[in-house]
Amino acid sequence: MGRPLAWLPLIALLAATAATASAPRFYDDDPIDREPESRSAARASPLGIGLIYELGYNLFVNANREPTNTRAANVNTIDEVPDSSWFTNRIGRDTIAPERLARGVNADRPPAPERWVLLREKSAGVSPGFTARDANGEVWFLQFDQPERPEGGSAAVEIGSKLFWALGYNVVETFITRFDPARAAIDPQATVRRPSGARTPFTRDDMTRVLERAARHDDGTYRVSAGRMIPGKILGPFRYAGTRSDDPNDLVPHEHRRELRALRVFGAWTNLVDWKAGNTLDTLVEEHGRAVVKHYLQDVGATFGMANNPDEWDKGWEYFYEQAPSRRRLMTFGFALSPWQTVPYAEYPSVGLFEGDRFDPTAWRPHTPVTAYIEMRADDAFWAARRVMAFSDELIRAAVHTGEFSDLAAERHVAAVLIKRRDAVGRAYLPAINPVVDPRLDQVGVLTFANAAVAAGFAEGPTAYHASWLRFDNATERTDPIAETRSTAGTMNAPADVMRTPIGGFIEIDITAESAGHESWGRPVRTFFRRTTAGWKLVGLERLPDGKSAAAVPHRAAAGER
Amino acid sequence: MRRFARAIVLAGLVPPGVVSAQDASSRVAVIEQAQEVKDQNLRPAEVGRVEQYVTRLTDAFLSGQVHWHPFWQNAYSGGGFTLGAGYTQYVSSYNTLDVRGSITFSGYKRIEAELVAPELFTRHGSLSVLGGWREATQVGFYGFGMTSAEDNRANYGFTQPYASALLELFPTRRLFLVRGGLEVTQWSQGAGSGSAPSVDEVYTDATLPGLGTKPVYWHTQATVGVDSRRPARGYARRGGFYGVTAHDFTDHDKTYGFNRIDYEAIQHIPILRDTWVVSLRARAETTYDKSGQQIPFYMMPSLGGGSTLRGYSSWRLRDLHSLLLQGEWRMMANRFFDVALFYDAGKVAASRSDLDLSRMKTDFGVGFRWHGLARTPLRIELAKGSEGFSLVFAASEVF
Repeated sequence: MGRPLAWLPLIALLAATAATASAPRFYDDDPIDREPESRSAARASPLGIGLIYELGYNLFVNANREPTNTRAANVNTIDEVPDSSWFTNRIGRDTIAPERLARGVNADRPPAPERWVLLREKSAGVSPGFTARDANGEVWFLQFDQPERPEGGSAAVEIGSKLFWALGYNVVETFITRFDPARAAIDPQATVRRPSGARTPFTRDDMTRVLERAARHDDGTYRVSAGRMIPGKILGPFRYAGTRSDDPNDLVPHEHRRELRALRVFGAWTNLVDWKAGNTLDTLVEEHGRAVVKHYLQDVGATFGMANNPDEWDKGWEYFYEQAPSRRRLMTFGFALSPWQTVPYAEYPSVGLFEGDRFDPTAWRPHTPVTAYIEMRADDAFWAARRVMAFSDELIRAAVHTGEFSDLAAERHVAAVLIKRRDAVGRAYLPAINPVVDPRLDQVGVLTFANAAVAAGFAEGPTAYHASWLRFDNATERTDPIAETRSTAGTMNAPADVMRTPIGGFIEIDITAESAGHESWGRPVRTFFRRTTAGWKLVGLERLPDGKSAAAVPHRAAAGER
Repeated sequence: MRRFARAIVLAGLVPPGVVSAQDASSRVAVIEQAQEVKDQNLRPAEVGRVEQYVTRLTDAFLSGQVHWHPFWQNAYSGGGFTLGAGYTQYVSSYNTLDVRGSITFSGYKRIEAELVAPELFTRHGSLSVLGGWREATQVGFYGFGMTSAEDNRANYGFTQPYASALLELFPTRRLFLVRGGLEVTQWSQGAGSGSAPSVDEVYTDATLPGLGTKPVYWHTQATVGVDSRRPARGYARRGGFYGVTAHDFTDHDKTYGFNRIDYEAIQHIPILRDTWVVSLRARAETTYDKSGQQIPFYMMPSLGGGSTLRGYSSWRLRDLHSLLLQGEWRMMANRFFDVALFYDAGKVAASRSDLDLSRMKTDFGVGFRWHGLARTPLRIELAKGSEGFSLVFAASEVF
């Protein structure tokens, strides 16, 4: 699965096809807004991923890997991510009302907690839990809060689910509900895997054993996060590299999927540190009469400082193991301090180690660096940062409110930190490359565009914008210069020659910004418009070319230099 | 992979010049053609060989299927490099039976079987039942008290069959600890081997209590304490242990019986979010004779070796009472590796009133510890005492 060699037959076939064909740069249906999934994936079969192998590979292989600086391969011709079985454009494309965000993916009825019937123990993760059937007969995954952080784990799951749903991912429907052990029963068929390896009947003592590790209310009940069972046939986790060899629709190596690379930005914002494949899930579902593999982030609860042990101070600051800071501490007997050793954290029992004042998204670390994390480029980060910046303060507060904190100060704190971290993400990534966005060419030839960094208040407006206008041959990709124009604002008039372009003809406009503080803005954003009977249609946008450039975002040196 | 990624998909999922077939008229068609090509070449999803091996191995460990394990504990401290193995078998869902043995180059041998029930009384207690036999061939004896000289080393040996049961209870699940145990054992002290003279060549039974004896002991013990060490006893960075243990050694022949009380205090003090941990330990062992009975020399409290006075040989100091003070300044390099600077001070005395802080033997050194969340499987320490350097290899925490 996902090995380069496995693709050799396909590459050969594609190459043979290419030899006999020439194709236009842009097709009539460009830019597509949905990645087609034309073949049945019914033959996809379950496959696990070795946790220890993955941990070792990420820490000792990936951590030393240089990014290939390959442009994201699943973006459409205007540098956007089309909808797919991985991702659905929501925030950034649509306006999301706070009430809608608070509902998130939750579409069906919440669990009926009057009576739980326990089916299985929870076999992975630190938080205690069960699989159980509610009073309506529906199966749920129950996850309790740790005693050290009452409400913290369930709140993180809830808030994380809302944010990642809005960001576009497939997430699990979750609800905060109650578990009353006095009214819980055990399914006669339920079993537990013992340390001996044997599966034996689930007993009441097994339930007690789990609850001993959970935060308990004074009335003997427990707050619990209930996750609805994901529909479809479970295929196991997805990998952050390669493709599924048994899924015909899975063409793009996962490390080159922009939405997976962008988790580095979204993860930094929310402090989603636990990227292990075990927190993801592929399922086989039927859509439009065809079996397709749908990809989920099934656990986004390792957010807001809530992963693992509450005493892990380096969460979000260092990988589980990282050579450079280890060596530095060793050489100085710990006196060369890392930021996590001194950063102040507000103390709330229900909130993990989560702060926004010293947060630097470019230096943020998950527990382990997956391949997609390594491969993120500046244009991926820019794309992701725009989505993060699309969350208004009001939306963030609405998402945090779904965490149902009993302490309002804790709720306010989490929202305030998310707002600070959102701004830090925007400040870090929006001005880093040419931030010209939303180019439009109207019928009378007025070009308008915006500057995402300036609009967000993270950069001063440039001295001037320059546009190179070129006639573009869609068949040969040949360009002929037409004219250069200049403006101090995001509006320019097209040169007269441009308006003589016939219907169906193309022009290319390369837009740069002149800014003393931002040398990178001098690299053009290349835009392509096709003339139609209705006007000009944006069919192409390229923010950064493929190949060697400053596009790759370093991941190795940062921690050592902090 | 990089070349392929560039070739297969580019700003529009599939590049026009590479994938597009003659009759493809749309981007969607181009992608669908690529999917069709892949569909004709589908293979079952599978993992790589290395991943398979690693996963099989870890699954085996986690599922209790791996029975054999290394066993580094030798028969008695000072035995030198140890080779050993054990075989663990679950005898019920949680309880294990471990049969293990070890041998050293100096001929120390140990073979034993232990039944461990870790989750008794709804996880309020644990029980260990142990039976075995061991032999040590060249245990150092340097004389009594603080004035004993390194050059006066004599060696003794012993064999010992033993059977014991130790029950540990945490009545409140955390913090408060009660422990009780019973052991039946026979020490058969004999001549020593090695480069130092045997004790029976240097001492007589008039000058060395218990020389050449073979007492059968009924050893009972009881501990009360508080234990707040976290994350675990085997590797702690915070919390402490404060406890008192009373031992009764009843000699079957009422000749060599005695009592002993151990006082122990351990505290781990994290500094700056566990960047450093100051770990302190104080331990006193005091013996009480039973009227008319002797305490054999080999049963007296002793200091020296890998977890007490690390800069000195094992069993270097011996007398009726001992006091040990240890301090470590530990630095966490990362989640799996600590370095520590340490200082040990110890004293033995014939009288309890002499257990003061004057004229203690001291050492200092540096230690390297590879650890997990709950255990310290490898500890290497270099210590310097007044009698030279010592290198310690251990498979457990120092305290």
